[in-house]
Amino acid sequence: MTHDDTLAAALAGDGFLLFDGAMGTQLQERGLAAGELPELLCLSAPDQITAVHAAYVAAGADVVTTNTFGANAAKLGDAASVEEVFSAAVACARAARPRYVAADIGPTGQLLEPMGTLAFDDAYELFARQARAADAAGADLFVIETMADLAEAKAALLAVRENSDLPVLVTMTFQEDGRTFLGTTPEVAAVTLSALGADAVGINCSLGPRDVAPLVERMLPWASCPVMAQANAGLPRVEGGETRYDVGPEEYAAAVAGMLDAGVTIVGGCCGTTPAHIAAERSLLAGRRPAPRALRNCFAVAGPQRLVALAPGQVGVIGERINPTGKRKMKEALRSGNHDHVIAEAMAQERSGAQVLDVNAGLPEIDERAVMCRLVSELLSVTTLPLQIDSSDPAVVEAAVRSYPGKALINSVNGKAASLAAVVPIAARYGCALVGLTLDEDGIPATAEGRLAVARKIVAATDAAGIPRHDVAIDCLAMAASTDQTAPRAILDAIRAVKSELPGVRTVLGVSNISFGLPFRPLLNATFLAAALGAGLDLAIINPGVRRMMDVVDSWRVLSGEDEQARFYVEHYADRSDAPGAAPSPAGEKDAVPAPAAGLPADPVERARALVLDGRSEPMGEAMAEVLLGHDALFSINEVLVPALDEVGRRFEDGSFFLPQLMASAEAAKAGFEVVRAAAAPGDAAAAGKGEVVVCTVKGDIHDIGKNIVRMLLENYGFDVIDLGRDVDPEVVVRTVEERHVRLAGLSALMTTTVPAMAETIELLRERAPWCKVVVGGAVLTPEYAQMVGADFYAKDATETARIASEVLG
Amino acid sequence: MASAREDYDVRSVERGEVLRYLGYAGQALTPELDARIDEVVAHCLAICRPRGVTRVFGVAGRGEKGGVPVLRLSGTALELAGRSIAEHLEGAVAVGVLAVTVGMGAEAELRRLSLTDPTAQVIFDAAGTAAVERAADAAEASVVAEAHERGLFCGTRFSPGYGDLPLSTQPVLLDALDAGRLLGIRLSPALLMSPTKSVTAVVGLFERPRPEAHASCAGCPCRDFCVLLRAGSTCRG
Repeated sequence: MTHDDTLAAALAGDGFLLFDGAMGTQLQERGLAAGELPELLCLSAPDQITAVHAAYVAAGADVVTTNTFGANAAKLGDAASVEEVFSAAVACARAARPRYVAADIGPTGQLLEPMGTLAFDDAYELFARQARAADAAGADLFVIETMADLAEAKAALLAVRENSDLPVLVTMTFQEDGRTFLGTTPEVAAVTLSALGADAVGINCSLGPRDVAPLVERMLPWASCPVMAQANAGLPRVEGGETRYDVGPEEYAAAVAGMLDAGVTIVGGCCGTTPAHIAAERSLLAGRRPAPRALRNCFAVAGPQRLVALAPGQVGVIGERINPTGKRKMKEALRSGNHDHVIAEAMAQERSGAQVLDVNAGLPEIDERAVMCRLVSELLSVTTLPLQIDSSDPAVVEAAVRSYPGKALINSVNGKAASLAAVVPIAARYGCALVGLTLDEDGIPATAEGRLAVARKIVAATDAAGIPRHDVAIDCLAMAASTDQTAPRAILDAIRAVKSELPGVRTVLGVSNISFGLPFRPLLNATFLAAALGAGLDLAIINPGVRRMMDVVDSWRVLSGEDEQARFYVEHYADRSDAPGAAPSPAGEKDAVPAPAAGLPADPVERARALVLDGRSEPMGEAMAEVLLGHDALFSINEVLVPALDEVGRRFEDGSFFLPQLMASAEAAKAGFEVVRAAAAPGDAAAAGKGEVVVCTVKGDIHDIGKNIVRMLLENYGFDVIDLGRDVDPEVVVRTVEERHVRLAGLSALMTTTVPAMAETIELLRERAPWCKVVVGGAVLTPEYAQMVGADFYAKDATETARIASEVLG
Repeated sequence: MASAREDYDVRSVERGEVLRYLGYAGQALTPELDARIDEVVAHCLAICRPRGVTRVFGVAGRGEKGGVPVLRLSGTALELAGRSIAEHLEGAVAVGVLAVTVGMGAEAELRRLSLTDPTAQVIFDAAGTAAVERAADAAEASVVAEAHERGLFCGTRFSPGYGDLPLSTQPVLLDALDAGRLLGIRLSPALLMSPTKSVTAVVGLFERPRPEAHASCAGCPCRDFCVLLRAGSTCRG
């Protein structure tokens, strides 16, 4: 193998690299049948594969890409081993005598959790095997391509980096709307993958070169590595049964020229491109030099669909609410596993203007790592905001950020040697931004100079680990003014000192500690926040639901010039006033008082029953509050809500209600229960639960509608439902049942192909938790089927499940 | 490897169809629930992005594998096994293969609603099913148009998992249409498609009109998407 320095220069951004064009469409022209695994041709017709490669080499390509797009163990099945295919594929490529052979890795073909069923670690294993096979076969570099899911791209990139020392280039595929199928933008892909250590990032496939050009140009300011583009030869169309691509070599090269002018340095082609396209690109590159690029100097974090980037002078809001410290309901939610409250807090903070959400699951009695990972997965489904992973346990942080589909913010490292040694490498390895607390073995320094000294120590460590300064945010730690009135000034001085003495580094602050021990805390918090912003604070960790705090942020953005022409401010504050009677309307709170329910009984008991039957949640709280004026909790539940629910169940069974009516009634009843429980004295037996029930959809199945209906109804009847979600491993079910000695488990399966997973779960339950009864349901199940899988009960619908639960736990 | 992708204009679904998926049988609805159903259906249609891929393959031969009839197609590794599909495609000279989806956006919204609003999830799910069926109608219309060009006539759609056409047909069928790349459809080991609101199907192309399919434009599910009708003709001649 003789190598010149073309690759090294290209990866340094000092030179161009020309890849080859399409493999698949070339093979189709040579008679590959649709749906056939093209990778197997490396074994059965190596000469044909080499011929395709050789044509690209003759056209001037520096790199040929192995015919291994779908060569993962899941797709190949029994047809061939991953090692055989990569070995043959690299040999086919090498035989064409190219400068470099790039091992090609495409998507697994499966959808990753939480939307799909493939676990991140399992995807990683599929890719790791490909990486080892390609490395052993003698490839020169890797190209991971056609990725639509940032989590999958991340799994592949980590798998290559951790199983090979070869360079690795990563490209994703985008639609006309500028997003991947899973909603990732070019900016998010560039920020996340370059921070994670990709040697180049870019776009392949997708669209024709004219449509790819503006998308790949959006990557350029955000990628700290070379940017590449391999577009299709236009959009495919079918003509007389043949698939055709319309963009010829000259037109293709003309569009590529624009990309080169913008700063793209690695090019080639994807579907529909031919050796002629590559030859046209080769002529284009002759005599050119890479165009200069300007990278953004921004603090940047990203969720899979949203980039949050702060240029110097811009300020950001981190929502602090998902943290159990001092919050009873949050503690309860994390302990019980019922995360409705967490999800509601996340959505409320997003509505109120948070740009990043802090997530903390630190409670001594729970498995913090498991809870954190589940929270992250759920939050990814309900909010697009990037997350700040907040834990004092580096193992928890690593578990959460490793599979996070984006660029997370880690909270936090501090100046202690042990913390620096444990946390900084995690941030560097996974390309995260990092909060650094100014405390060390000697505690929190009282002075600004002392805090700056700790900050220096932290930044020295992040500099050494290669973490860019704009990804480091120093927290100068707010201390209570009530215990030391010199503390606020010291903090503000420390912020100024960090900003001036450690150029490029950002600052962050959890603001509310300042007011600890004093009355009317929001006012002190707001005043201090304004002062901190004036001192140069970049990121405020606050409760964005407190209007006063967001008022400070929004008004500061006008004064700092961030809110250009005060557009946001004018739009949102034009109607605000401090005049008496013009009370500010807190964000997220409804202004209108619900109109009294017309046509309903005046007697609150009758009205509450009627509202449940009508499925009207809004007036329910008021009606139950009235019921509670004259009755106790026991009466409210047993004589009002439960009989109404029973009637709902009867109507559903006899067909006078259909599903949405059942659910609307369940919602109304739930609203009623919440009022009763909130009013009940602690330990009031009537308001306490009737026992725990585990529910889930079994492994491999992601249909959760039936399970969700069952959950709603069981909760209505006062059971404490532990909802394990969908696609749940049998081991997780059994462990939960064992740990809490749960007496009833409800399993749901919607597909014949997932019924065996149900049988497997029941078998494991019988073995390890013989006390637990099992009720099963789902579209494909019948009483006979239920018996066959070994269940105790078959429930044809949710109301029957509720009846069975009462029987087992009553 | 690619076949052409089409975007379908599904602006509405039949409210009656959505209600049917929800188990509706004439119950009296409160105005609140009525409005809520309309709202969620509109929300669903706004998020859905119906798209599809179709290809027509000639029938290469009929045989048997392990006692089960197998239909082989030319130019593809796709084989259709089972008695029910053999019967459905008896006499067909070509087969249209289609895959459609309403996209990952709707899937993500279903997941979000599952965690935040189960009632809306149920309605959204039914609306999504109605929408993807409309997309399948549109894809079928494309096959009908292609059949018409060839002087052939279409039967009705048949999907893997119906009768004894095994779900294990899915991997090759989706690969034959390049549905992963073009539509973003993924397949789980349990052979479940993601987005779940996706449909695959095959349609027979015959030399004579079929009495059971496309017999009149009035009752034809493809009507709204039919290019022949728009051009003033029909697929029957």
